[in-house]
Amino acid sequence: MKTISFILNGKKTVVEVRDSETLLYALRERLGITSVKEGCEIGECGTCTVLIDDEPHYSCMTLASKANGSDVKTVEFLGTADLLHPLQEAFINSGAVQCGYCTPGMLLSAYSLLLKNKDPDTDDIREAISGNLCRCTGYIQIVEAIKDAAGLCKHNS
Amino acid sequence: MPVFIGQDVTRIDALDKVLGRAAFAYDLKTDDMLFACVVRSEKPHALIKKIETARALSMEGVAAVLTHIDIPGENSFGAIKKDQQFLAKDRVRYVGEPIAVVVGVNEEVARKASGFVRIEYEELQVISDPFVSMTSPVLIHDEGNLLSHRKVIKGDIEKGFNESDVIVENTYRTTWVDHAYMETEAGLGYMDDDGRIVVVSSTQNIHYKMKEISRMLAMPPERVRVIQATTGGGFGGKLDVTVEGFLALCVYHLKRTVVMRFTREESFLAQTKRHPLHIEYKTGARKDGSINAVRVNITGDTGPYISYGETVCLRAAVHATGPYEVPNVHVDSRMFYTNNPVAGAMRGFGVPQLAFAHESQLDKIAGILNMDPLDIRIKNALRRGSLTATSQALEHSAGLPETLKRIEPFWRSRERQNDRRGFGLGCMYYGIGNTGVSNPSDCYLTFMPEGRIALHSGVCEIGQGSDTVLMQILCESLAMDDEKIVLLRGDTDTSRDAGSSSASRQTYISGMAVCDAAQKMKKYLEKEGYYSGRPLTDICEAALGKGDAMFEGHFDPPTTPVDMETSRGAPYATYAFATHMTEVEVNEVTGACRVVKVHAAHDVGRAVNVKNVRGQICGGIAMGIGLALMEEFSPGKSKSLDDYYMPTSMDMPEVEAIIVEDREPTGPYGAKGVGEPALIPQAASIVNAIKDATGVEARELPCHIERLKLLLEARRQK
Amino acid sequence: MLPDFASIIAETKEEALSCLSSLERAKVIAGGTDLMVKMRSGERYDHIIDITNIRELDGIAVKDGVVVIGPVATHARLGSDAAIRENAPGLALACSLVGSPQIRNMGTIGGNIVNASPAADSIPPMLIHDAMLTLESKGSSRKVRLEDIIVAPYKTSINTRELLGPVEITSLKGYREGYFRVAKRATWAISRLSVAWAISEEEGTFKDVKLAIGSCTPMPFRAVKVEGLLRGEKRQPGIIAEAVRIALEEIKLISGIRPSFAYKLPVLRGILENVLGGE
Repeated sequence: MKTISFILNGKKTVVEVRDSETLLYALRERLGITSVKEGCEIGECGTCTVLIDDEPHYSCMTLASKANGSDVKTVEFLGTADLLHPLQEAFINSGAVQCGYCTPGMLLSAYSLLLKNKDPDTDDIREAISGNLCRCTGYIQIVEAIKDAAGLCKHNS
Repeated sequence: MPVFIGQDVTRIDALDKVLGRAAFAYDLKTDDMLFACVVRSEKPHALIKKIETARALSMEGVAAVLTHIDIPGENSFGAIKKDQQFLAKDRVRYVGEPIAVVVGVNEEVARKASGFVRIEYEELQVISDPFVSMTSPVLIHDEGNLLSHRKVIKGDIEKGFNESDVIVENTYRTTWVDHAYMETEAGLGYMDDDGRIVVVSSTQNIHYKMKEISRMLAMPPERVRVIQATTGGGFGGKLDVTVEGFLALCVYHLKRTVVMRFTREESFLAQTKRHPLHIEYKTGARKDGSINAVRVNITGDTGPYISYGETVCLRAAVHATGPYEVPNVHVDSRMFYTNNPVAGAMRGFGVPQLAFAHESQLDKIAGILNMDPLDIRIKNALRRGSLTATSQALEHSAGLPETLKRIEPFWRSRERQNDRRGFGLGCMYYGIGNTGVSNPSDCYLTFMPEGRIALHSGVCEIGQGSDTVLMQILCESLAMDDEKIVLLRGDTDTSRDAGSSSASRQTYISGMAVCDAAQKMKKYLEKEGYYSGRPLTDICEAALGKGDAMFEGHFDPPTTPVDMETSRGAPYATYAFATHMTEVEVNEVTGACRVVKVHAAHDVGRAVNVKNVRGQICGGIAMGIGLALMEEFSPGKSKSLDDYYMPTSMDMPEVEAIIVEDREPTGPYGAKGVGEPALIPQAASIVNAIKDATGVEARELPCHIERLKLLLEARRQK
Repeated sequence: MLPDFASIIAETKEEALSCLSSLERAKVIAGGTDLMVKMRSGERYDHIIDITNIRELDGIAVKDGVVVIGPVATHARLGSDAAIRENAPGLALACSLVGSPQIRNMGTIGGNIVNASPAADSIPPMLIHDAMLTLESKGSSRKVRLEDIIVAPYKTSINTRELLGPVEITSLKGYREGYFRVAKRATWAISRLSVAWAISEEEGTFKDVKLAIGSCTPMPFRAVKVEGLLRGEKRQPGIIAEAVRIALEEIKLISGIRPSFAYKLPVLRGILENVLGGE
């Protein structure tokens, strides 16, 4: 076992993990973050996406011990029911959510994009979410939502 | 009073989903739960000589190893016929068939122990091809290898061809496709305080599963409760019993909470797939382009168990001509058992495969007659008053001509940006609801003590948006704001059987059931003065006091069973119609086909929620691109998402969704359905666009880069 | 679920080397995008040594026309790094086509090398840049050419005590350089076929041609015969056709006839014609 210490959604977190466990497992089983999903466990679906130092990573193929000393964000970081992030608001308003299983990971990839690119075009957005599969929406309304949110973020800042 | 129908009402589940707090089945797991996993057959066809469980059972942390002998009731399930064993007793018929369930303190223990359950087999000859199955002396089931043979016969087929000026004959092939919902099958089971068995799972139908569990455990259905967890996609794959039976069996024996989750590999290996079909298609047309005769011979690989094989067999036959009025029709549709994966329900029940065939045929005929592909479709389109292939007269909503008309300006003004581009059309019709059988939906409304109204719904929300749509229908019917309504959903204890979320039926059928209940309640509310200002809280209190608490809603679409010999009849109360126009760009060097733009016009009767309808259309297009260009499940080879490709965001075209509303009088506010229609014509329109771009005709799906390149090479060498 | 192992996060190269020298059944992990999948499907090690924190194994530097790439530099980094884009644009492009954004944030150039997949995107461009690897073990170090290190599909001659150090590639400024790959979907897919090239021309004559092909042979390879043939030749259809013929012959010679060649060879022909023809 190892004790790791990292920032999880803005809060310093210390947790004991097994040497051989994934960050996905640690987040779900030890820290109760069930918004991080398990869809394939081999980095081929994107539902386990988390941000490490604001860049999207597959937590299913990241050793938990790797998170030590880093900044990890899950969808809980984005907003709350009372104060939604513009991306969350746009996902709701644009019909970007169907079954919802890919949604947390998708939002995180989008969030990371908007940190780097305030004014992404359709191709930028498609590329940014190309590591997150969605079987329901055909991505169209997701792309629209991200574009709307980018506009909203710019307007707010 | 606000209007609800036709509005972009926000999905009621969206907030929880964007916050990441929607509880999918596996999210409900806690540390004290046991984990169960399945030991599966490694042989495609074999007798089971011995199941050795002692070693697994002796391992630390293992709570139970259950086999067929532990099933107290009937060891069988099946949506159409009960031909599949929960746990195989003496014979297995496909790789992945469940044999035992191992329960351990956690996933690691259970999975490890499952490796120590030893099965002794005596291998039997394997049948992996329906054409071998057809004549093989090896029988997969005692009754023979033919599961089903359905026919559609109309007019005089010989005369039809004799009187045709052009005859086109081709063979089309499709392969297995996986549902590949992002959430694999999962659930948990527990015993409640009254000793009842409760299963919470990712599912498309709760009442069906309750009944199967009750038969398996020899318990009355009221001793079983099934609850739908938030479900991460269905597409037909969560209609059959997946984890539910195992969970119930574990709880029955252990009286503890047990959780299950299939790995992606397990889901790929063991769950149902889209039927691979071999379609021999002959079309006869007159010089003016009118289709005069259609002869189709469909041979399907249904795998070793029925699942929805009979349904696909019949639905494929009934829809084989496509959405066109054809006077002379002869269709033979046959499904054979094999030792391949079980083929079951998947979005469209065989119709997407047939659309690929009939739309290719139509373009071929148009080409020979030098007719525009749009004109030939307009000429033959089913419309109000037309007779379908089953001789059903279309009396009401039949908006195919309107979808064609809405596509027409884009079609007529199409221009190739470069010589690698091409355009293709695809049309479809699709019967809403189950085929020629009663498929009712029931619901009820009650007053709540806190002064609100409760909609008790057994409809499974699988991501398509049914919860929101039913709420919109109820709000509209009662002229009441949604704040005054509570949705109690997806729980057999608090709802009636609404049937499965499949066959594009929930908006239409359960929507009507909600209308029915609402009308009854509305009368009551009128009488009680709600619409003249009396507060709902008052009415609720009084009604509960008097015991006037329940208003039932029911709808069963008016259909007739189809004739066993000819399929004559009215198998569906209403049909959806659509036309897709697709632009592609083909890279002749690599064989890669990129879908550039899709115009999709859908007659949905009435769009209850425009954003949802558009979402269905875009999602259907994605799945259609997968079907056309990349998705290919190879038994034994396709293990997970690393070797089974489905479209990413970068494979998607620009989409223009066009909604046509030819209102259906028997539907809620005129609505029909759109879930499957969205997918059906897409692959067909891509194949036709590839032909337009390159001149090559794809007769086998998926037309992935290699297949397309080989076709291009063959054309070059010609 | 992964098999059990002990993990060590090495903070210095010395620490990593000493672990490698003293521990049995030890394996280095960086991005983990290949190794984690292999371990999940049963590959077992007793010790996993994480080297991503080792500063000196990261980073990209240019000196005298040689680009030195730290083995734990990620694909995302290589895809966007100014020095790589300037000195090896084909490599930058190849790295930006690896997997998905997440994979590119995790996977490293060193990992791509030691995994030695026939379909590795970064390898053909590194071959045309004459990549030279440094392999270090406790107390010793050796330099090896990339093409000499891969001995079979997914197999290298790096021994279990060795650690991959910096990767050196030569700049090909002034060359027309590129990378093209074919895959079964628009992105996030294994390359079915890939070509990396760098061509220098003067007045319609090939001064120098460097060409590497991936996914056709057990290891991506430099088409040196083709390079030799074209050097000094005028760019015209006849010689290009001959070059293509030789390339295909060489592949058949290395791999024998494979069923996949019915697809791959015609595609390769088309790509090479375009590349050499200057399209």
